[in-house]
Amino acid sequence: MTAVTAIDSQVQVDTDAAISVRGLWKVFGEDANSIIGSPEAHLSRPELLEKTGCVAAVRDVSFDVAKGEVFVVMGLSGSGKSTLVRCLTRLIEPTAGEVFFEGEDILTASKSRLRELRRTKFSMVFQHFGLLPHRRVIDNIAYPLEINGVGKDARYQRAREVIELVGLDGYANHFPEQLSGGMQQRVGLARALAVNPEVMFLDEPFSALDPLIRRDMQNEVKRLHKDLNKTMVFITHDLAEAMKLGDRIVIMRDGDIVQVGTPVDLVMKPVDDYVADFTKDIPKSHVLTMGALARAARADETVSADPVDADLIVRKAIPRIVNSTNPVGVVKGGATVGVVGRDDILHLIADDADEGSST
Amino acid sequence: MSTPTFVDTLPHWLRKRSSVIVIVLVVWVILATLLRGVDTLELSTATNTPVTEWFRELAASIRGSRSEAWIFIFVFNPIRAFIQGFVEVIRSVIAVPGSGDVIPVIGWLGVVALVGFIVYASSNWRTALLSMGLLTACGMLGVWIDTMDTLAMTMGSVLLSLAIALPIGIWAGLNDRFMAFIRPVLDLAQILPTLVYLAPLALVFLVGIAASTIATMIYSIPICVRITAHAIRSLKAGPIEASESMGSTRLQMLRKVQLPMARRTIILGINQTTLAALSFVVIAALIGAPGLGKPVIEALTIRNVGNGVVAGLAVVLLAVMLDRATTAAVQHSAEIPPEGDALIRRRIGLAAAAAATIGAIALSRYQLWAAVFPERLVIGSYIGNAADAVTDWITSNFYALTIGLNQNFTIHVLNRVEAVLADAPWYLTIIAISILAAIIGGRFVGVLSLVLLTGVVLIGLWNDAMVTLTQVLIATAIVMLIGVLLGVAAGRSPRVERALKPFLDAGQTLPAFVYLVPVLALFGPSRFAAIVCGVFYASPVVVRVVADGVRGVPKDMVEAAVSSGSSTTQVVTKVQLPASKKSLLLGANQGMIFVLAVVVIGGFVGAGGLGYLVIVGQSKPELQGKGLAAGLAIVLLGIVMDRIAQAGARRNEKQPT
Repeated sequence: MTAVTAIDSQVQVDTDAAISVRGLWKVFGEDANSIIGSPEAHLSRPELLEKTGCVAAVRDVSFDVAKGEVFVVMGLSGSGKSTLVRCLTRLIEPTAGEVFFEGEDILTASKSRLRELRRTKFSMVFQHFGLLPHRRVIDNIAYPLEINGVGKDARYQRAREVIELVGLDGYANHFPEQLSGGMQQRVGLARALAVNPEVMFLDEPFSALDPLIRRDMQNEVKRLHKDLNKTMVFITHDLAEAMKLGDRIVIMRDGDIVQVGTPVDLVMKPVDDYVADFTKDIPKSHVLTMGALARAARADETVSADPVDADLIVRKAIPRIVNSTNPVGVVKGGATVGVVGRDDILHLIADDADEGSST
Repeated sequence: MSTPTFVDTLPHWLRKRSSVIVIVLVVWVILATLLRGVDTLELSTATNTPVTEWFRELAASIRGSRSEAWIFIFVFNPIRAFIQGFVEVIRSVIAVPGSGDVIPVIGWLGVVALVGFIVYASSNWRTALLSMGLLTACGMLGVWIDTMDTLAMTMGSVLLSLAIALPIGIWAGLNDRFMAFIRPVLDLAQILPTLVYLAPLALVFLVGIAASTIATMIYSIPICVRITAHAIRSLKAGPIEASESMGSTRLQMLRKVQLPMARRTIILGINQTTLAALSFVVIAALIGAPGLGKPVIEALTIRNVGNGVVAGLAVVLLAVMLDRATTAAVQHSAEIPPEGDALIRRRIGLAAAAAATIGAIALSRYQLWAAVFPERLVIGSYIGNAADAVTDWITSNFYALTIGLNQNFTIHVLNRVEAVLADAPWYLTIIAISILAAIIGGRFVGVLSLVLLTGVVLIGLWNDAMVTLTQVLIATAIVMLIGVLLGVAAGRSPRVERALKPFLDAGQTLPAFVYLVPVLALFGPSRFAAIVCGVFYASPVVVRVVADGVRGVPKDMVEAAVSSGSSTTQVVTKVQLPASKKSLLLGANQGMIFVLAVVVIGGFVGAGGLGYLVIVGQSKPELQGKGLAAGLAIVLLGIVMDRIAQAGARRNEKQPT
């Protein structure tokens, strides 16, 4: 069942990727270029540092980001995730590799072409907001339009639109320092949306915020994504955040990609102990869909009359299932894919409880 | 890896640097006492040496080629004409009447109103009123025209300095290679005592407005460059990266992000530049700068305390005004701009102030009382007389604290140190200092000291240099004592810090020159007076550096010491002072450089030494060579002291023993 999802994502990647990354390297240090392709490239990080004085922040990374998906890059600090996202728009110049956007290799783009892409196609949201302290909210949001030569009236009109979109009404004439962290990041989001970009890069946008505000902002991003359907590359060190927002998640460690997959993949089929260790605290009922849990109805079972949708998260379906004496049918696109009964739910929750107690 | 010094070859018990230093000092003092009066190279003021003679001839030939050599015709003379013309324009507006006129373009009332308007526009009405009051007070001291001359010179120098320093500072802030390129120049400018620029510049640009403006610029430009570059360099990276991610060009980034964000610090740099320029313009009276410096110098030369106090007070008032006005502008630039009703009120206020200013300027052109400062408001002579009376009263009633203190200190401390440095054979002193330099700063610094001090001997001004060095070392020792005591107190207690703040601010705002007047009044012309001036001038800086260092000691370090039962003394001596060692060494270095700058000016109040030769060289043509040579000797001395202190500080960082 999970294999289906994996194949699904494979198909998406090949046909309409928004961004394709191939063999991307970033090595910091003198003479970093000579390391690529040499035997040293395969050394572990400490060994490489010892031997050459260089640090490989991103090592031979390849992946595709599908159009309209939220692609989360998740890793602990020092895993290279922030360097990776900066390499994609060349805020940090990669050492080697290719980054394709609409068929064009960004890494070979000229300075002025790169500037044009940054002005019209990409936008970025930063952990510490990166707002201009000397400008009012509206002028911060209008800034990307301003540097692109949009006239004052037009850019203010657009800025007011996005101010409304992110819920900043009434704050247009405030200065950033007058706003709370959460509100400041709303300005950051609005600024990133102002140019109506194709791809948004969000670098740990909510890590500097308090937990409650963070939850609000995550919901805000979910809502914006649903409404605007932008491709998003979202960096985080918080697995719960990754699970909540990501269509697919890539887990990085020491500059390498450990696993790419849907939240369900990571929880149900971790490729190694590192990923398993990460995901073991995530209750399965919080990520699995009813479709993933569904099984064929046994002959002796009476299936309840009112089916549930296959995309529904198990946790949200629990009351329905538990209140029904008979197993409930699971439908996808009108066709029944299987059933889920009380026992199935109980087994899943028991599994979660087991793993919770073993920590 | 640091290069091994000869210290490393010594047996272990001798490796402790402090014990080696003590041994060297003891041997040095014993030898100096035994060899007292031998080979001291003492020289009477009027005698020239081959080197000073050569300098005199060089000066004469430069004077002779002023109208012939191409470098004068195409470079120096046009620069002189431009700068002189620029400053004269400002002077003609506020200070001196044009030809055929009785008053400058704007009379006193107009100037007061205009200054008030400018301050109001750049900050708030309170500071504007204060500035207008301070300016009027300068008029009431009876030195309105001198004040305007000083103001015009300061403004001219500041504007020209900013025109050069801001672009350089911005470039240095953006470009690492350019910064590395100009850093040595900035460093050198910091250790050059003000007095030594004057003579060479007067030689090239003639005594007068141009030379004094250029000297002022040379003094203030490095300060402005340093702060501007720092302003750009210390910007938060976030907004800059964000701006880059949105596709800003470098020019857009500079104009719309970096400069606006750095604005506050850059304005702070303008504040510092202005105060530096003012203090220099006063000293530049030595090479013909018009203004308040002239009466101060006259008063110092003929020991007329009353007149000196009046002119010095005007300098102080002007300094306070410029400082308050520019500081308020810094604060204003950080405030959130008004909007709505507040914005309308502000606009109405500005319009009204502009109208009043125009009215006052018009009035000052057509009404005599508004044009020339009214005589009956002048109370300068009363203040002068009062200062004289107070001085007489203090010196006659508190003899022990003034002249007595001076004599005791001179006999028991000053003469003894001078005996070791100046009354001993020159080679002994050079070797002793070089060995100490090597121990403190490493072999390179030792060799450097040897070479530079030998240079002083070759110039022929060894004995005078040692007289100056004596005063510098004693003053620095006192400054460090004060600096550590007050600095630790201020660093530990916010109350003490608040109490000290006005004095520290004043000490950093006031031009060194004006200290000379009261010190001269109290202690008479003497070496002691120069030391007192040096102490007054340098202490605030050192107190501040030490206090910052003590405050910078991590809180948990102090808490850990307190929680393990340390007494206050133990916390200070075992935790806070050792942990802020770097600040202490930095403070010592700064203190020494500041002291040197003032001690040489002490030549005015009978301190003798190199400073006196520079000043005499300025007034007696036959000694001009000696004055120039003395300037060079001061520079060499300054470099030796700075290098020893810097290298000592660096080595301390590397091997915390």
